[in-house]
Amino acid sequence: MDDKKSAVLVCTCGKQLQLDYDFLDTQVKSLNLTSSATVHDSVCQDDGLEKISELLKASDGHLVIAACTNQKIQPRIDQYLASKGVDSSQIQYTNIREHSAWVHNDMTEASKKSLDMIRGTLARSAKSSKRTLEQKEIATHVTVIGGGIAGIESALSLSNLGYDVSLLEISEELGGHVKSLPVVAPTGKSGKEILSGRLEALQNDKNIVTMMKTKVKFITGEMGDFTVHYSSEDDMEKTLQTSAVVLATGYKEFKPISMEEYLYGKNPDVLTQFELSNMLSEGDLVRPSDGKPVNNVVMVQCVGSRDENYKKDCSKLCCTFAIDNSLEILKRNPDAQVTIVYMDIRVPFENEMIYKESREKGVDYIRGRVSMTWKQDGNTRVRIYDSLLDKYFETPVDLLVLSSAILPPDGTSELSETLGYALEDDGHVKELYGKLRRNETRRRGVVAVGGVTRPQFVFEAVTDAQAGTLIIHNELQGGKIETTSRGAVLDVEECVGCSLCAQQCPRGVPLMIEQTETEEADEEQKIVFKAAIDTLNCHACGVCQSLCPSGATQLNFLSNDQLWDQIAASLEDAGPDYPITLCFYCEECSVSTIDIVGTRKMEYPASTRLIPVPCAGRVSIIDILKAFEHGASTVMIASCETDRCHIGGTGNEIAQVQVDVARDILNAIGWDGNRVDMFRMFSAEPDRFTNAVNEMVKRANNLGPTPVHKGTAGKWMEVTE
Amino acid sequence: MSQPTLDKEIAPKRQRMLDMILALGGLKEESAIPLNKVAEELANLKTELAPFTDAILAFPDSYYDKFLEAVNKSKMVSEIHDRGILKESISNIESALSKTESESLQELNSLLSESLARMTKSEESRETSVETDMGSMISTISSLVSEIASAVDELEKSAEMEAESARAELVTLLETLNAAKANASAEPEVALEEIQKLGTKTRYGPGLRAAAQVKRGKRDGRIDDERFQTLVPENMLTEAYRGVIMFILAKMGSKTVVQIGNLMETSPQAVQNALLTMIQRGEVEMVGLEGDAPVFSKVLTELPNSTLVLKRIVQQVRGMVKSLEGDIAGTANQSLNKLQTLLERLQILGLYDEATLSEPINNLRETVDQATEAVLAFQTSDDSENLRLLISAGLEAFARFRLKITLEKGPNLVSGTNVYGEKLDPEVYQTMMDTYLENELERGTILVLIRELGALTALDLAERTSIPQDRILRHLLRMKRDELLTIAGEEHGYVLYDVPRTLSDAEMAIMTVSNIVLQLSEARVELNRILDELKATDIGNLTNSLEVFSKARDKLASVRVNGVVVDEATLVDVEDEIRSAVLLAYRTRTRIPSTRQKITLADLADVDVPSVLDEYRALMGYAPLLGFGTIEWDQSKCLGCKSCEISCPENAIELKQRVEIPKFFEISDDALSLLPSSKSLFYRTVKQLAAVKPSKDIILDHEVPGFGSVEVDLWLCVACRTCVRRCPGPESGALELELKWNLPEVVKHITSTS
Repeated sequence: MDDKKSAVLVCTCGKQLQLDYDFLDTQVKSLNLTSSATVHDSVCQDDGLEKISELLKASDGHLVIAACTNQKIQPRIDQYLASKGVDSSQIQYTNIREHSAWVHNDMTEASKKSLDMIRGTLARSAKSSKRTLEQKEIATHVTVIGGGIAGIESALSLSNLGYDVSLLEISEELGGHVKSLPVVAPTGKSGKEILSGRLEALQNDKNIVTMMKTKVKFITGEMGDFTVHYSSEDDMEKTLQTSAVVLATGYKEFKPISMEEYLYGKNPDVLTQFELSNMLSEGDLVRPSDGKPVNNVVMVQCVGSRDENYKKDCSKLCCTFAIDNSLEILKRNPDAQVTIVYMDIRVPFENEMIYKESREKGVDYIRGRVSMTWKQDGNTRVRIYDSLLDKYFETPVDLLVLSSAILPPDGTSELSETLGYALEDDGHVKELYGKLRRNETRRRGVVAVGGVTRPQFVFEAVTDAQAGTLIIHNELQGGKIETTSRGAVLDVEECVGCSLCAQQCPRGVPLMIEQTETEEADEEQKIVFKAAIDTLNCHACGVCQSLCPSGATQLNFLSNDQLWDQIAASLEDAGPDYPITLCFYCEECSVSTIDIVGTRKMEYPASTRLIPVPCAGRVSIIDILKAFEHGASTVMIASCETDRCHIGGTGNEIAQVQVDVARDILNAIGWDGNRVDMFRMFSAEPDRFTNAVNEMVKRANNLGPTPVHKGTAGKWMEVTE
Repeated sequence: MSQPTLDKEIAPKRQRMLDMILALGGLKEESAIPLNKVAEELANLKTELAPFTDAILAFPDSYYDKFLEAVNKSKMVSEIHDRGILKESISNIESALSKTESESLQELNSLLSESLARMTKSEESRETSVETDMGSMISTISSLVSEIASAVDELEKSAEMEAESARAELVTLLETLNAAKANASAEPEVALEEIQKLGTKTRYGPGLRAAAQVKRGKRDGRIDDERFQTLVPENMLTEAYRGVIMFILAKMGSKTVVQIGNLMETSPQAVQNALLTMIQRGEVEMVGLEGDAPVFSKVLTELPNSTLVLKRIVQQVRGMVKSLEGDIAGTANQSLNKLQTLLERLQILGLYDEATLSEPINNLRETVDQATEAVLAFQTSDDSENLRLLISAGLEAFARFRLKITLEKGPNLVSGTNVYGEKLDPEVYQTMMDTYLENELERGTILVLIRELGALTALDLAERTSIPQDRILRHLLRMKRDELLTIAGEEHGYVLYDVPRTLSDAEMAIMTVSNIVLQLSEARVELNRILDELKATDIGNLTNSLEVFSKARDKLASVRVNGVVVDEATLVDVEDEIRSAVLLAYRTRTRIPSTRQKITLADLADVDVPSVLDEYRALMGYAPLLGFGTIEWDQSKCLGCKSCEISCPENAIELKQRVEIPKFFEISDDALSLLPSSKSLFYRTVKQLAAVKPSKDIILDHEVPGFGSVEVDLWLCVACRTCVRRCPGPESGALELELKWNLPEVVKHITSTS
């Protein structure tokens, strides 16, 4: 593609920035790729916006805006231009305020850096292409897996939003665990009461098809076109086309058979908390062994939870459930003696109120553990260790109730193999990003709600289900997706079918399609695959691009050529006398961190050049090597914190391995691997960026001229070892 | 993209090949035979077997009765002189008796035990009063020598006859050889074919290998036409000569060069040329002279015992002669000369039927031993076992004469000088002689013990003598090298050494029969057990034990007592019955799915392997082995995409976390231009930046998409070619499977040529 000249609009931010604008103006005008240069005092104000509109028209959409952070200014400009019907898709931004003027005291240095960055951005702009509005229509059908409270709530909400829903339940009855809860704190209602209205609504809802005794086997396809393979009652495998999937499979209660101190599974009077709930909601409170009335109940908390051998952390719900059930027992039999043996009582939210109530009603709390259970004269006896008194008690019990751990449901891991969501260490579904994208999974078009993500109270599961529904609605947009596509575009001709993109895409967007026709024609019986990428499904991180061996998949707003030209142009003045540190930063955590460094005016050396990328995973090893080839002394990548990659969870890790292998290669070819490094940013700790930059600038100075500067690069043939 | 979990233990490749053959066959037939048919088949087998089994189970007893009768009649037991054989036979029969009852065996056993007891007793009571009548002994020797001579005459005659019969075969061989000779220059390829054909007939290994190598070299272009033109008429033709020479020496006996040349209608020079290399190769050796011409023979891997014994006798007599005087010395000398000629003739004969020689040679040995004893005039008055042993050992040592000569010559060396005028220090001589004497006496002791007690191990010998075991082993090895001992098998991990012995008919018969007695008793127990309750899983054991009966019968039919086969009638009668029973068992075995041979070669050739791959996987849990091969990985075409690893059905191929970075610098520009654009840009950029060429691979500490080196575990690879087909690398991809052995192809080939 020919290089296009771009208009440059430089903002003085109300003449506040300490930059040499005359220098910038003359220098920018002298650049080859500049069609016009304008210095403006307030690009973000009305006259500035008008100027932008005017420049865009004059330069066929190629415009570089050098102003404050695009995080602030871009939404305003886009909105304005959209209202005027002007295409803003090719505008390139460079931040000369937070990333330059505000962080460098030396005006000459800051101006020089700003010029370099404008030059780089011009190069990026020169090969930009126009992105158009794209549309696609998809079926407004969503599949909800799991007919518990979260599943039911999701189905109802989706139906209200106009979607057709298939609600698949593995058991014979809807309602999950909730239907067996005798009382749900803090409402005081029973589980059945809470469900009843929803079940009724479900029955009257024509958009929802409920399928019982249905087990999902696996799911193929992508958002907008998933195929659910399931087996129904008659054990036949059937399929179902759907556009999105809500995973609401709830949780599984731990059965403490292996914990011998409780005799669970051997003595019928030893129950889990949920089994007691079942017993209470069915009406009879008697000893399962002989049907005698229940007077003495001992409940043991944290059975399997907070236990290195079973579930390491707290199961959150069990304390409240135990108190609920104790109160229910006391309601049935006011003379009953309920003892709760606990490690710590943890009752969140308003549940503290029922804890107080239980205390008032005489539930006995003993801090300690049950060390032994045995049968004596037809009675069950337990030995309790009271850790506050440091004493052992023995007492006969009618029921020993174990508040056992809450585990992810069976099949979660199996389903993840085809559905592509990530799992936590404890087996629950991992949320895409804990703070901002809680209901999304790693796989686009798949949300997980309710107990399958973490132990949740009833009302939490309901809220979660509603939130998940909105995420789905946001993605499917009622079946007509219309957006200016920003994402990876695949050139099928170039694709060699290596599947690296499909293997590594954080959101599982690329699909590998077997080319059976090509295979039939092939003499060598090659198995031929080609990738298929739905750009509208893409999150535009660029991981596929950085791994693609053939450049077949490229982001439509940042092609390889664009980035390589920007690297070259930004480093035009780099050399041994002026060692430059080039910093690629992701436009998620890193840009926020660097902007905050700017707004706090935390100074760092001006020998740095910053290039934005959508995600650190976009930076390929070639990009890193290109930077050195063009004279960078050190290269750093700023990414999101571990496990906090906003774009899909793994973009930063892909970047990390590229950096690691780049270091190994540099060491091997006579460089120093320390010239490249990656740093994890966190906007609440702006120091992280300044520390990182200072470190890399220090390394640039200490390591001295690179082989490129010295002219020894590429001369490996002359070196004998 | 998940892989199915594999069983932790994967069967070795060969096992899997068998599995595959069975299962592929099974795939076609399994459904045809319902499992409930198995019971029916077994029931049929049992009814069909019933009429035979009684006779089969009964025949050994009948044979034993008759054998005992024959033994008693022929007084065969008294002919057994070897205590080792007696002991072994007794132990065989005893363990057979522990399994089955038989009065005849019991009696036979007591006969043998009595004989053994007698022997041991007579041994003990035997006064070693040495026979001193040299004259009668020497005449016995000379008459024995003529007896042996006439036996050797017979042997030579029969060898002559064999040679005659081989002559016809030789004629056809020579025709092929001449055809090859005629074509050698003009049409070397045709000639080479002829030579190979000849090679398969003469079975001359080195020649066959050389021809195949030349052929392969020609095909692969390693040997150009010009060289081929010279190789065939020269080297290959000579190899063909060698094949024919080998045939002559093996089938027609030892020959001189001229004789061979006449037989082959070729010039002796050509034969001589060919022979030289054969001598170097250790295939041919000179065994004697005929006139002035050396006689050549095929090198035998093992000399017949009689030859070895005779060799020893010759040495012994040679030593003895020197100590004799007068007429006796003359007669002895004559015998010695005759014996030497006989030895040469035996060596020329190479392999021969020892039976006719064993009797006279054994007698000769005994007489010569006695004579030697007499010559050395050793008197023993003390009959304590140790002293007797020591004396016998001394005798043994002197018998071998080295000691005697050393003792005679040694003092001369001390008093006089040797041929170089050197004098031997008396002290050195003393130590030397002490060690030497000790060694020779120890070796003598060992020989005496082995000769009397049968084959012994180093451990046995150490227990019986006070010599440390390591010294014993050294003596044994030395004596093995001197051909004084042979290896007779092993016992508890120790090698059994024995003196060369020739067995008499009686000894042979008792040994064979006692061995068979043991086998049969075990087989009878087994067969009874199996027939008691015939199960499908036992069908293999059933055929095995019936086979034992069959083989035992065949062997017994060859055992002769006084030249007659014992109980021949029963053996003949039972032959058909055993055969029918074996056939019945085999037939049922093929019908039972669990053990039947599931496939014939013809079936296998028709199986389209890829089409049954899934079915096979479902059945066996792993992919079928389609052959053996190697997978070559070309780094310059590899994209590091792991597609091979992901697609491999057997987890045999893996992208290892090792970057072979030195190889980056060896990728040619052409190869780079074939690579996908970004991959080649990466290599170019690395080269452009490099200040030095890396020498070491990079070991990654975690997976890096796009980087690594491919390794194949050939023990897991089933040669299905999936990785090769899936590899997206440029041109035909980075992987190449070289099939060394392709199961379906091989099967097709076998079936088309047979």
